[in-house]
Amino acid sequence: AAQPPSDLSEAPSFTYAKRWSTSTSRSSSVDSEDSETGNAILRLSPSCVKRLKKLQSEEPDTNLMLRIGVEGGGCSGFQYNFTLDHKVNEDDRVFEKDGAKIVVDTMSLDFIKGATIDWNTELIRSAFRILDNPKAEHGCSCGSSFSVKT
Amino acid sequence: VKRTKGLPTRAALNITPAAIQKVRELLTSRPESIGLKITVKQKGCNGLSYNLDYAKEKETLDEEVLMDGVRILIDKKAQLSLLGTEMDYQESKLSSEFVFNNPNIKGTCGCGESFNI
Repeated sequence: AAQPPSDLSEAPSFTYAKRWSTSTSRSSSVDSEDSETGNAILRLSPSCVKRLKKLQSEEPDTNLMLRIGVEGGGCSGFQYNFTLDHKVNEDDRVFEKDGAKIVVDTMSLDFIKGATIDWNTELIRSAFRILDNPKAEHGCSCGSSFSVKT
Repeated sequence: VKRTKGLPTRAALNITPAAIQKVRELLTSRPESIGLKITVKQKGCNGLSYNLDYAKEKETLDEEVLMDGVRILIDKKAQLSLLGTEMDYQESKLSSEFVFNNPNIKGTCGCGESFNI
């Protein structure tokens, strides 16, 4: 009987396919760079990646993602909303770094483009937060609420 | 240094079992600290905000709360605003934090970090 391809021939083609897929601009699913400017749309801090991977390791069978939403509310007009999600909707974009995934709907993405997602650990509180959001003027000291730069 | 058991007065701060456990956990990795210290800072959109830090020594005017071997020091300025408050620890996948349930609070910020009395 004909032999299936050996491991040797399979391995390089796999890495090739992977590189090919990241170097082309895919309009959907996983991406992290603005196709026009080349700037990172969302940055994930190392602590954020670490935390998400830890959460993922607790639910190994699921496709765990951190969903970031922006809604009206808070003392400065807008506030960030963090949830954990497992499914991607039609108007979502997924950002991935080292296996940690963040999903943002396109409406919310407009408000956080260029920002860094961070997992902040302090004695009193550990939580996800948005850092250096170029679109926001920080109104609230805790950073959960913001007003949009005009 | 063990404090002599005084008259049973109302504690300045109530600490829930979850918070006690977390504080104990935090302190085992910092053996040089005698406890945690709560201070109140003028910050945030609603005036005041709690801060928590490791304490190496008890200052003269600090209020000391000892519960199940866990020592919490309360800064002089924080004592009034903390009176009757319950300190809790809540943990979820998205955040873990010490929560202060303060009956004296008139209003809080959306995130609950700052408050006014």
